[in-house]
Formats: sequence, structure tokens, C-alpha cells
Amino acid sequence: MDDNPHQLIRQIAEGDTQALAALYRAYERPVYRFIVSRLNDPHEAADILHDVFMDIWRGAASFEGRSQVRTWIFGIAYRKVIDMHRKRARVTVTDDVPEPADAAEGAEAGYAARQEAEHLRFCVDALKDDHRVAITLAFYEDMTVAEIAEVAGVPEGTIKSRLHHARKLLLHCLSGRIGARSPA
Amino acid sequence: MTRSRAEIEQDLPFAVNGTLSDADLAEFTALTESDEQLRAEFEAMSAIRARMQAEDARSPGEIGLARLMRDVDHDGAAPAAPNRTWIWQLAAAVAVAAFLGETLFLDGADDGGFQLAGVHHAETADLVVSFAPGATEDQIRTLLVGVNAEIVSGPSALGFYRLVVIDEGQAAIATAADALMAATSVVESVVDAQN
Repeated sequence: MDDNPHQLIRQIAEGDTQALAALYRAYERPVYRFIVSRLNDPHEAADILHDVFMDIWRGAASFEGRSQVRTWIFGIAYRKVIDMHRKRARVTVTDDVPEPADAAEGAEAGYAARQEAEHLRFCVDALKDDHRVAITLAFYEDMTVAEIAEVAGVPEGTIKSRLHHARKLLLHCLSGRIGARSPA
Repeated sequence: MTRSRAEIEQDLPFAVNGTLSDADLAEFTALTESDEQLRAEFEAMSAIRARMQAEDARSPGEIGLARLMRDVDHDGAAPAAPNRTWIWQLAAAVAVAAFLGETLFLDGADDGGFQLAGVHHAETADLVVSFAPGATEDQIRTLLVGVNAEIVSGPSALGFYRLVVIDEGQAAIATAADALMAATSVVESVVDAQN
């Protein structure tokens, strides 16, 4: 089995289920992490992950190879989560920075790594979806600005702007919750 | 062309994740040397990235792959079929049979064919039904469990399924038939298999 992603897509287009399984094993975890970071529902995220790979199975023949396989897959996942948000008619999380942790929480002695992770998760979840997408792809997946722009279907400048706002909000939120000194 | 300070600052996330070009990284690094706040933010975002990458989401893994392969098998058969509903109903029938505890096994030397394990054989079916095109697997399963009936074969070329009613006696069969006919959103037709 050739694990070159473009070759796998070509094999999938010819009906090779083993190639699909290889592609799934290569991308399942990061794509799931991307989806669940936007939905906060592991069951729905699993369903969307499944739908993403069904779309790959059905649409592999239409993949023209002009983009990277990774950005193509994340682009499918990106659009499916947007569809899910529309179906739910979910109210988008606002730009409002969450309130700082209350006194009781703040009074706890020290902050273990687990608590820090919880604070970070809270603050990432509080971001608008567009901001969260940009942060997630930049920091979970280490994508370039061009790759993120391709996944989200917007210009690179828009991604840079979203990341600029996202990181300010993130630091503001974290400084409120953790009490750490934040750069302005 | 020289970039503005604001433009260079916007490269911060990509300096953190290591995807900047050498030239852009050099510009960014030079700026941080003269900007303590930017350097502090770079360090803070680097810590955030490290923390995010340490997070481990429990993905569906092999269970998800098994589900994918199952659906791909079903999906792969669809283009050759004249009617997707037919294929879907076959999938539903298999799922229902599995739910009801049937096990598909090779029957052995005599006929070399397949048979659904259990006491009922297709020839002993009590009712023949067809399901509504829009009926879901869950609706079919719930209905069959409710009337205490099992699918023993099908679908036929015309989309009919043969059922047995677990409770013995004509009265039980008639009761099940009435209940199936009443479920008009799930069942299209019900015929006594003995007629």
C-alpha cells in the first residue's frame, strides 16, 4: 500500500477500500480533533467524521490534485461543521470575553497542568467559530496561512486578521481565568 | 517591499508554529528583539500551542473505521442498483435481522446455501410485507419488535420481506398483521404468506 496521500486518493477513486482505510488511519485523529473542537459534542463529531470520509469515498474522483490532500479533507470537515451549525440554528458564540474565574476558583492553591488545560479549553471554546477554526488549524495542525485560507475558503489576509483577534481574545480570557500577566 | 510593523506582527502565529519562510521569520525575529511585549506574546502563544498539542481527543479509531467500511460496502453497491431504496431496505433488513439475534451461517453439506439461524425458515413465513420507501431502520426495527415478528428473508426482486410471528397461532398472526397495516408510515403492504 502506497501511503502517498495523492496516490491514496487515486486508488480510492478506483474503488480501493484499503486505500480508504489507510487514508482514514492517517487523518482520522486530526480531523476528529478539528471537528470536536468546533462542536464540543463527541457523538456529533464522530458522525461528521464519518460523513467526511464517506464524502471522500464518493468524491475522490473529483479531487484534481491542485491542493494538498490534507487541506482538501479539512475543507470538507470545515463545511460540514458549518452545515451542522446551520441545521442546529445554533447561536454563534460571541466575541465577549468570558468573565474571570470567581473568587473561590481563584483561591484554589496553584493551578495544575490539568486546570490550565481546562482554562485553555474554556477560552478556545468561547471564541467565535471563525476564530476557533483559525487557531485550531494554526496550533493543532501547524498549517501555513495559505493552507488555513484554503480550508476556510477566504483570503490569507482574512486568516491573519482572524488570528490576530483570536489570540488577543484568547490571552485576555486566559489572563482573566488564570490570573497570569498578559501582554497587552 | 518592506512590510509594516502591523503586517509583521500578524505573522506571530506562524512564527509560533514554524511555518514562516526564512525571510519572514527573520523580519519577525528582528521585531521581537526590539519589542518586549511582542516577545512576551510570542512566548505565551508558544505555551498555548504546546498545551493544545498535548490535548488528546479520543477519536472513534478502529470502531469508526469499521463503521466506515460497512457503509462503504453498502454505498458501493448503490450505483449498480436500479433503486437506492431497495438497497437501503436490504441494509435495513440485515440490520433488523442482526438486532433480533439472528446469525447468518453456512448451512452445511446438504444445500450448501445460506440460512438464517433459528427455528424459522423462509418457507414457514407467516406474512409478506413491503416497507414504505421513507421508513427508517429504527422505525422498522421498533415496529417488528412491537409486533413480535422477525424478517426471515427478503427483499425479493419486488421489495417484499417474509416475516414470521414469534407467538404461535392464527390469532397472533392476525394481530400482528393488523398492527403492521396500521403503521402506514412504515409499512406499505401486508399479505398473509399462507394464502
